[in-house]
Amino acid sequence: MTVLVGEKEKSPSARQVDDIKIMVGGQGGDGTLTVINLVGRVFKHMGLYSYDSRNVLSRIRGGHADGVIRGSAKHVLNVGDGIDVLVAFDEEAVTSAASELSENSVVIYDSSRAPLNRSLVPRSVVYEGKFGERAGTDLKRTLLKNTISFGVLCRVLGVEDKLAESVISARYSRRGEEVLSSNLSALKLGFELASQMGVRAHFVIPKLGANDTIQIDGDAALGIGFIAGGGRFYAGYPITPASEILEYLEANLPKFGGVAIQAEDEISAINMAIGASIAGVRSMVATSGPGQDLMTEGIGQAAMSESPVVIVEVQRTGPSTGEPTKHEQSDVNHVVYGGHGDFPRLVIAPADAQDCFEMGYVSLNLAEKYQLPVFVLMDQELAQNTQCTAAFDFSKVVVERGKLLNSSQLESVKEYKRYELTSDGVSPRTIPGTPNGMFQMTGNEHNEWGMVSVDKENRGSMMRKRFLKVEAAKEDLPKSRFYGDEDADIGIVSFGSNMGPILEAMDMLRDKNVRTKFLCLRTIYPLPSEELSKFLDGVRLAFFVECNLTGQLAGLVKKEVGYMDKVVSLTKYDGTGFRPSQIVSGILSGLSQAVKQS
Amino acid sequence: MFKPTAPIWCPGCGDFGVLAALKKSLSDLKIEPHKTVIVGGIGCSGSIHNNMLVYGYHALHGRLLTTATAIKLSNPKLTVIAAGGDGDGYAIGGNHFIHTLRRNPSIVYIVMNNGTYGLTKGQPSPTAQLGYEGTKEIPFEPVLTALSFLSTTFVARGFSGNQQQLQYLFKEAITHANSGKGFAFVDVLSPCVTYNDTYAEWRKMVVDANAIEGYDSSNRLKAFQTAYEIIQKGGIPTGLLYRSSGESFESMKIQGNVTPAESDIDPKHNEPLMRSLVERFR
Repeated sequence: MTVLVGEKEKSPSARQVDDIKIMVGGQGGDGTLTVINLVGRVFKHMGLYSYDSRNVLSRIRGGHADGVIRGSAKHVLNVGDGIDVLVAFDEEAVTSAASELSENSVVIYDSSRAPLNRSLVPRSVVYEGKFGERAGTDLKRTLLKNTISFGVLCRVLGVEDKLAESVISARYSRRGEEVLSSNLSALKLGFELASQMGVRAHFVIPKLGANDTIQIDGDAALGIGFIAGGGRFYAGYPITPASEILEYLEANLPKFGGVAIQAEDEISAINMAIGASIAGVRSMVATSGPGQDLMTEGIGQAAMSESPVVIVEVQRTGPSTGEPTKHEQSDVNHVVYGGHGDFPRLVIAPADAQDCFEMGYVSLNLAEKYQLPVFVLMDQELAQNTQCTAAFDFSKVVVERGKLLNSSQLESVKEYKRYELTSDGVSPRTIPGTPNGMFQMTGNEHNEWGMVSVDKENRGSMMRKRFLKVEAAKEDLPKSRFYGDEDADIGIVSFGSNMGPILEAMDMLRDKNVRTKFLCLRTIYPLPSEELSKFLDGVRLAFFVECNLTGQLAGLVKKEVGYMDKVVSLTKYDGTGFRPSQIVSGILSGLSQAVKQS
Repeated sequence: MFKPTAPIWCPGCGDFGVLAALKKSLSDLKIEPHKTVIVGGIGCSGSIHNNMLVYGYHALHGRLLTTATAIKLSNPKLTVIAAGGDGDGYAIGGNHFIHTLRRNPSIVYIVMNNGTYGLTKGQPSPTAQLGYEGTKEIPFEPVLTALSFLSTTFVARGFSGNQQQLQYLFKEAITHANSGKGFAFVDVLSPCVTYNDTYAEWRKMVVDANAIEGYDSSNRLKAFQTAYEIIQKGGIPTGLLYRSSGESFESMKIQGNVTPAESDIDPKHNEPLMRSLVERFR
């Protein structure tokens, strides 16, 4: 075989790093994501925090696919800026990564198809070898090129061979002797090729003590929170990026006596969730924008019939089919305003996996206490990227069912009315099977007994009753998180997965003597007006960071809280999330424009 | 508690016959009201749950089957009856009808079929006879559709003008569903006296398959063939057309003996099992 050794060695000695970003790219089906997962296990063993993101096309095989994994001595919540090592299975992977490759980066290239055009990566050290070809000839399975490349990668990272072997063994030992031994042979071949190519360790990555973290994606974290909180009914229709919740709950909910159903469409899913809720079972649906469109009528029905239900909306690129696998945060208006008529709802938004876990059960409590639809607003990066987080603390989980009457409690009620007018708008409710607890629940306007009514006075009372519940819920809603310098006069307001890159951008800005503070909203509706007012009063300018074109969150705040002159929108809508450097440059250019205008 | 209201239907409406037969059947079978949920659709017929002292839910237009399926899956001990119209079930809810036939949940589904959208003043429904209000579409045949699904376990059709047969069908349907055998589907010819008064016509057209000598309601192919032949001859097949036993949706979806409604949701009790879920992410 031909071995081409990188000739442009700029720094002959290995670099000490406490933060490293690796991209693995190729065609869908090349096994790129497997390499990402293997590296994740290596980082875990070294005590590093990891975060990974995958960039795939909406097709099963083929098309460019890549994944990025970052290892860091600090807890990080985004892939960060730049790529330190690229593993590429074809030239397209190099082309698409070229602009992000950092100074002194390393490119590991599978030259089975053709040698790499070196002018694409002038600043990088290149190691190229025919991984795919050797996997085919030596191991009779071309796909093993991914394990070969993992071996080369480990040598570049200065990872001990022993650790690489144990990671491979752990991953493949359950798949049978043959799979395990062929992968171990592939790893060994990777090491051999690395030696032949003259690969040396380019990095010295610290080995830290073991940390008690888990590596999890937001979808699974939310599913675990839902089960922990007593969620026992789930209905969903497959849709990226929410399908993982369906799959997770189909696999795990039955162990707890629950049921997960793949419905025929999202209309069915939301109405199933309402049915389960009427029967007294804590229920949830999860979907993305297009499914949310179909569910909208059902959300109004849940609100009108006062059925507790949780709707997880994992945002992706819209409108219409949009870019199904890509990131966006453009359904803020959709969940806050969607539906005909005025009806109450709550919208909460997790910012990391820990939040996803907590909101899995908090949303159920809110839904049952206030008997209304509760949205958990997520986004593709939060839902599908894997992050490190503290192992979940189940002792914190509480189940609050609100005014749910059992038969003995019902006996002490003078006259049971399903929609009784009360001071907080919440009526006591029963579940079918309870003697003398019969009700009529309906999406028609109704009186206190649930009988259809068009009485004008009743209409007013019932409309106000339903909205009273939103007022009552305010004290229970997830509080915003505050970060940064209390007395900084530059503010950042955002939500969801933006939190990760924003926190890093704030550090980078501090290095440039720009001090900032950050309000990370975890409740989107009703907006925490007091928190926002207090925050906005204390800043000269507030940058609203969100992944959509029109600045939906900023628009909502301007409409409901004000501060038109202080709100600056920093938006992105190219299908990927913010990188810290993009937030830094957005804020710096926003500040210089503000200076020019004043 | 609420007091059931009087029906909103026009004098002479076929739905009165359905209500009477349903009340009689539930009472004869001694089904307890507090263990009964009636899910109504949208349309004149969809208000039937208001006329009975049971747990009632007025679903969205066309969505009563999905709602009722979930109620049954949540608590299989309940008697769950979905009752709506032909527009509700066969037009806007057609997709759910198909998938409910496929799933076989142990619920009763009563369709008050009159071929028209009475509440919105007489537009043709999917079962409207060709030419009604100018419709140029061949009517949907719910009974043949149900028979053609390999998963169905109970397919029947009644006529609100034949109280005796209707009560028989409802009792059999409720018994089928309550013994966990699956989806009990009863299409009921229930004329709209205001917009599509087919009483006299339908009285002449109905053919009780169970009265045909040698009719075997356990033979799907024969049931389909008999119903099809009756239709070809200009009649309407009625009776308990097909009955068999199969696995119900709830028995396939619920693992173990605990139903979702009864499952223990105390976080303290579930902590060990929850911890085991997290192990895989370490």
